[in-house]
Amino acid sequence: MVTALSDVSLALDRGRLLAVLGPSGSGKTTLLSIIAGLLQPFAGEILIEGQAIHLRSPAEAAAFRRRHVGLVFQDHHLVPYLTALENLLLVPHLAGRVREEHRRRAERLLAEFGLLERLRHRPSALSGGERQRVAIARALMNEPTIMLVDEPTASLDTERGQKVLELLRDQVHSRDMTCVMVTHDPRMAEQADQTVCLVDGRVAPGAGGE
Amino acid sequence: MLALRELLGSRLKFGLIAAAIGLVVALTLLMSAMSEGLITGMTGAEGSLAGDALVFQRDTQLSLERSILTRDDLNILAVAPGVSNLYAVGHAMISVDAGAGVFDARLLGLSAGFEQLPLVEGRPPQSPGEALVDITAKANGVALGDPVRLSPVDGTLTVVGFTRDRRYVMSPVFYVDMATWRSLYVAALVGPAPGGSSAGGGAQGPGTAGVEERLSGEASIAAVRLDDGVTAADLAAALGDRYEVATPAAAARAGNGMPVMVLAVNGIQVVSLLIGALVIGIFFYITTLHKTGQIAAIKALGASNGYLYRQLLLQIVVLVTLAVVVGMALALGAGASMPSTMAFDPGLGRWGVSLIAVYAMALLGSLFSLRNILSIDPAIALDRAEH
Repeated sequence: MVTALSDVSLALDRGRLLAVLGPSGSGKTTLLSIIAGLLQPFAGEILIEGQAIHLRSPAEAAAFRRRHVGLVFQDHHLVPYLTALENLLLVPHLAGRVREEHRRRAERLLAEFGLLERLRHRPSALSGGERQRVAIARALMNEPTIMLVDEPTASLDTERGQKVLELLRDQVHSRDMTCVMVTHDPRMAEQADQTVCLVDGRVAPGAGGE
Repeated sequence: MLALRELLGSRLKFGLIAAAIGLVVALTLLMSAMSEGLITGMTGAEGSLAGDALVFQRDTQLSLERSILTRDDLNILAVAPGVSNLYAVGHAMISVDAGAGVFDARLLGLSAGFEQLPLVEGRPPQSPGEALVDITAKANGVALGDPVRLSPVDGTLTVVGFTRDRRYVMSPVFYVDMATWRSLYVAALVGPAPGGSSAGGGAQGPGTAGVEERLSGEASIAAVRLDDGVTAADLAAALGDRYEVATPAAAARAGNGMPVMVLAVNGIQVVSLLIGALVIGIFFYITTLHKTGQIAAIKALGASNGYLYRQLLLQIVVLVTLAVVVGMALALGAGASMPSTMAFDPGLGRWGVSLIAVYAMALLGSLFSLRNILSIDPAIALDRAEH
C-alpha cells in the first residue's frame, strides 16, 4: 500500500484562496479528491463548515457536493453536447429541477465572466480560456461553500491563465468562499492568499499549513 | 435532459447506431416472419381447420397422410361423449397442371364448413368438380374460372375461388367437396379410370367405381366441435386408444417432422434476438467507454449512478424505437418484394412479441453499460494526471 498523504493538516477561512503547490506525484490531486469526498481517507477527518465529509457514503458525499462544493477540473470537463448555458444549468438539473431563477443566475454568471455572447455556443466553439471560464461559472452555480480547482491554468497560455486566475480570486473574495487551487506553477501559487507545498504526500516545512 | 441532448447533439453517431440496430431489428422481424411463414406454409391448412379437435386413426402419430377413418368410425365419433358435431376431412396428394408446368398440391375434401375459409376471390365450391384454392397457386398459373388438370389421376377441377394461408407441406391446397375428394382419392389409389377422367372431368371407370363403393363413407380425419367445457384431452380420454386426438394446432405441429422444424425455427429466432441484444449491448458499452471521463466528471458534480443509468435507458429506448421503425420498414419492404410462394408471414401479434423481445434484449444489453457506469470512479475526473 502506498501512502499518498500523511500528516497533512490545513485550516482554511472563508474568502481565502489556498494554492496547493507541488511536483507531480506529491499528492495534490489526492488531497483535492479527499476534500471533495471523492476519496475517503484511511485516517483523519475533513470538516467543511463543521460537517464531516469523510464519514459520508459515496451517495451522501455526492449530495453534499451538489449543495456545497464547486468543482473545476483541469481539462474543464464541460459536457460537449451542451451549450455554455446548459452546462451551467446541469448543476441545478442534477440537484432536482431547473427553475427560472437558475436560468437567470446562469445567464448572470456568464455575463459576469464576459461570455454573454457565447451562451448558446458549445464547448467546441469556445476558446480554451472561455471554456475554463464556463467551467468556473458552472462551479459557482450552486453558490458553493468551498470551491476546489484543479490546475485551472494548465492548458492556457500565460496571459489567459493570468486572467482566469484573477477571475477566480475575485470570485473567492467577492463571494466570501473558501477555495483550494491545485497548481504546479509557482507564479500562480504566489498570487493566492495562502500557499501549501506538498512533497511526497507531506506538507513541506515552512511552506504553509496549519 | 442529458440523454436527449446528447442524441440531438450527435445525430450522425446515434443515427448510424440506430440504423445498425434497425438492421438487427429488420433481421429479427424477417426471421420471425419467415419462420412463421415456414410453419404456416407447412401446417396452415391443417392447423386452421375449424374445430376443437381433430380425430385420427390410431397409431398414425397424428399424420393426416396416413390416417383413414371409415363410415363406422365417423358414426362412432358423432355420438361420442362431449362431441357437439363433426365434419369429415379427406386428404390426398395431387399434381396439378394449370398450363405453366406441373406442381405438387394437396387436396382437402370437406363434408361441411367451407365458410371457415377466408375468401380472397370468387366463391366457395357449390357442386362437384369445383375447387377453392390457396392463392399461392396463382404463381403456378392457376386462374379463377380456369379448369386445371390433375395427374396422374387424369381428372380436372374448376377453380371457383381463392383463399389464403391454406398451404400444407408448402403446397397450395385445393378444397373440394367430399364426393369430389373421394373420386380423386380413389383414382389416386387405383389409377385413372380407363377411357375417362375423375371428378369434374368425367365419369368413373368401372374399375374405380367398385373400389369407391367399397370405400364409401371414408375420410382421412374428423374435425370435431366439442360441447362447452369439454377439451380435446377429455375426448381423447373418452375414446381411449381407438383413435388419436389433438387440437388442430397441436396436430399440425406433430407430423411431417414439424417438432424438429419448430425447434429449429424457435432456435433461429432466439439466436437472432440474442445477437440483437449483444449488438445493442456492445454499441452502448463502447459509447459508455468513450465517455468515461465525462461520466466521471458528471458523477463528481453529484450525479448518482441511478440518474446516469436512467439517461442510458432513455437513450436506448429512443434509439431502439427509431430502429424499430427503420427495421419494420425494411422488413415490410423486403417482404413485399418476395414472391407470394415465399414463406413470409408477418403477423402483428408475432411481430409484437418479437419487438417486445427486442426491447427486453436492449435492456439486457444495457446491463453491460450499467456495470461500466457503476465501476467509473468519479475521482478519475480529477486524477487525469497526478501533478
